[in-house]
Amino acid sequence: MADVKITSVTKKFGDVFAVNNFNALIKDGEFVSILGPSGCGKTTMLRMIAGFERATEGEIAIGDQVVSKISEGIFVPPEKRHIGMVFQSYAVWPHMNVFDNVAYPLKIQKVPTDKLKERTEQALDLVHLAEYAARFPNQLSGGQQQRVALARALVAEPSLLLLDEPLSNLDAKLRESMRFEIKDLQKKLGITVVYVTHDQAEAMAMSDRIVVMHKGVIQQVDEPIRVYEHPANPTVADFIGLVNFLEGEAAAGQIKFKALDCSIPAQVSFEGPARVAVRPEHIRISKTDGYLRGKLVNKFYLGDSTDCRVLVGDTELRVIDRGAAFAEYSDGEDVFLSFGHVMAFPK
Amino acid sequence: MGKKWLPQWDTKWILILSAVASLVVFVVLPMLFLVYKSFIINGTLDIKHYQTVYSKAVNWNALSNTLKVSLYSTALSVLISFPLAWLIGRTDLPSKGFFRTLFVATYMIPPYVGSIAWIQLLNPRVGYVNKFLVETLHLAEAPFNIYSMTGMVWCLTLFYAPFAFITISRAMEKMDPTLEEASRVSGASPLRTLWNVTIPLMYPSILAGGILVFIGVASAFGTPSIIGMPANIEVLTTRIVTYIYMGDTKGIQEATALAVSLMLAANGLLYLSMFGLGKKEYVTIGGKSTRPNLVELGKWKWPAFSVVMGYGAISVFLPISSILVTSLIKSMSRPITWDNLTLSTWKAAMENSQYTEPLMNSFILAIGAATIATIIGIFIAYLLMKTKAKGRKIPDALATLGGATPGIVIALALIITFSGSFGLNLYSTMTILIVGYVVKYLTMSVRTISASLSQVHPSLEEAALNSGASWLQSLRDIMWPLIRPSVVAGWFLVFMPSFYELTMSIILYGSQTKTIGVLLYELQTYADPQDASVLAVIILLIVLVGNLALRKVSRGQIGI
Repeated sequence: MADVKITSVTKKFGDVFAVNNFNALIKDGEFVSILGPSGCGKTTMLRMIAGFERATEGEIAIGDQVVSKISEGIFVPPEKRHIGMVFQSYAVWPHMNVFDNVAYPLKIQKVPTDKLKERTEQALDLVHLAEYAARFPNQLSGGQQQRVALARALVAEPSLLLLDEPLSNLDAKLRESMRFEIKDLQKKLGITVVYVTHDQAEAMAMSDRIVVMHKGVIQQVDEPIRVYEHPANPTVADFIGLVNFLEGEAAAGQIKFKALDCSIPAQVSFEGPARVAVRPEHIRISKTDGYLRGKLVNKFYLGDSTDCRVLVGDTELRVIDRGAAFAEYSDGEDVFLSFGHVMAFPK
Repeated sequence: MGKKWLPQWDTKWILILSAVASLVVFVVLPMLFLVYKSFIINGTLDIKHYQTVYSKAVNWNALSNTLKVSLYSTALSVLISFPLAWLIGRTDLPSKGFFRTLFVATYMIPPYVGSIAWIQLLNPRVGYVNKFLVETLHLAEAPFNIYSMTGMVWCLTLFYAPFAFITISRAMEKMDPTLEEASRVSGASPLRTLWNVTIPLMYPSILAGGILVFIGVASAFGTPSIIGMPANIEVLTTRIVTYIYMGDTKGIQEATALAVSLMLAANGLLYLSMFGLGKKEYVTIGGKSTRPNLVELGKWKWPAFSVVMGYGAISVFLPISSILVTSLIKSMSRPITWDNLTLSTWKAAMENSQYTEPLMNSFILAIGAATIATIIGIFIAYLLMKTKAKGRKIPDALATLGGATPGIVIALALIITFSGSFGLNLYSTMTILIVGYVVKYLTMSVRTISASLSQVHPSLEEAALNSGASWLQSLRDIMWPLIRPSVVAGWFLVFMPSFYELTMSIILYGSQTKTIGVLLYELQTYADPQDASVLAVIILLIVLVGNLALRKVSRGQIGI
């Protein structure tokens, strides 16, 4: 098992910074996701850990071994890093059957035949594919191919497992069940995992910590709940979950909304102009009391929740509540709003 | 209204059916008639023609030579093309873009023009390379003799290898690079990855490219004729032409039997490969296009560059320079110096109507063939991609069949079919040449146009019809602007090979319809290397210009 130490890693493609000054310490046995929109540099970072890209600057160490430090001319090629990796496209070799695919890393290590067979079967058992050993990839579903890729990545008992958007090619239902399966597997094996995804639900569900990236720069490294409830900046707040933004003024124990001529109580660590973010499920609507006055524009019943829009001043706020909430309200009605959890950022 | 047996008897279907009908008359009928003629004597099934043909040692020899030359050239082409395609597509070899263009462009050098160049270089008496080596190394005799089996295989390999190179490098570009990365991360070195993953995955396209080379070489006439014949090495195509040139019924009958053998071999092989590969074709296109991880050649970078550069120099630069220099030289017996160069050969050739007439003929024929193939191609491609008619794939298959059939077979089939047998006598006319070119190269325009038609969403046409346009109006206002670049590209893809075509022309031309290919062949055979070089340079120039135009209209998407 191993920790991963990434120090000041930068990757430039021409003049463009794909990754800019990335620092992270991933602990032994930890499940860390790198989350961000497409093009944020998360895959490039993962490929640098794997050894498919060379960092322009900085140092990457896996366990005790420095695998990349260009300033000292150190670069360990992918095949010498002893890591497992699962690719978005599965990358299951179509000309080998399931057994041969999974056994390949052991074959490279020249593991004796009987031991190779035993360990390959164990890996296949782990992903519930034991009875598919003789099949070829084109006879498997996408989910099964994904499991083959997972077994292949795990068979050599690597200290580190990298996953590059492994679930994004699967359908929604399968994606959810694979989430739990991968998480269970990681717990069982105690392996260190770096998981790249643009799907925040995936990252929230599986990770011990999430690294949020935007335009090549780390925005926040935190536990899922912290990232959601206490985003480091408006970018993170906007990317994770739904959010309404308002312009306000922070003062002791409260935030003033000058344009709306009202204020709400809030614990804010600074004073002065603020961007205020509030999530739709943290807004309460009432006919009688609240801090802000608004007009219900419209509402949409979605089965498990109701999604509605309320006009406050000239800002439209999105409000979501469970089930058939707001049934007693009608479009165009004047309402009062109060905010539960408020996030404020200095401007 | 009752049920109609035709989908809709309107302009659209009249035009499409006319295109299909022309295919039936000019592809299906001649081919069937050729087979019929070879098996049916006086109304009964008889294999006498085959018995006669294959009772002669010379024909057996020709058959075995065809197989030998094709096998050797195919094996060599693959052995050269795979490493080239890998170096260019998968490693950090310097100047990769230049090399790719260079090796793909070799495809546009007509093989017989390349062979003429190599005769100039490796002729045992006067070849430039031989003379140079004899003088510098003080050899007693010339080290190379182009007039040999080796010489033939050498030329055919150099000029048919691009078929394999194009096929293999396309497949390599399409391959999901993560398949290789998965191997690296599993602990395999780059070389091991090449061996365990890349080569097995490339296997179907290696086979497909190899088969293209094999069929191309087996159908080639020019090179075996100008290199093999002087060394008394005969192949099937040269035998067929010899039989046809005998001019009598018996000659034609034996030519027919040989031609059917060649046709069955070529088309059978192609069919087998499509059928066999159909199942094995690996779908290796990945989920997202990652920047392919290039193999770092390290200390092998510059040695590899030198080898690739050397191959480029030998396969492209050397032959083209040879032709160019020969066309400009004053006296072949004196060394190549600036004051031994002149434009007088060019001037004389340009003023000689025996040269300019075939040049004009080839222009007219190629323009005619390209235009007709484009018009037919539009309707066949439309039928294939934009209708739901039953059997819509058949006309496309017929066009492919024409493309895969050896030119010599097409020519012979056209001669026996349209020399009055069916009330149509095209013998020695421009028309029969155009028909031959269209049959052989129609597939180029159909393929190019259907590729772009498949990009046009059906709703675009439906919206036009819905707005009140007739089918012809929607074709003109909606379809045409969208597919125009590919239609023009398809036109050039027919024009260029038609312009320099030799194999069919040598059989189909008449005294008034000589083509530049035939003229070049005659000049080479009657040993006038300087005039031959002038014509060869003209052909190369025209093809080069055509190719540049092609790249321009297709915005770099299509180019040979």
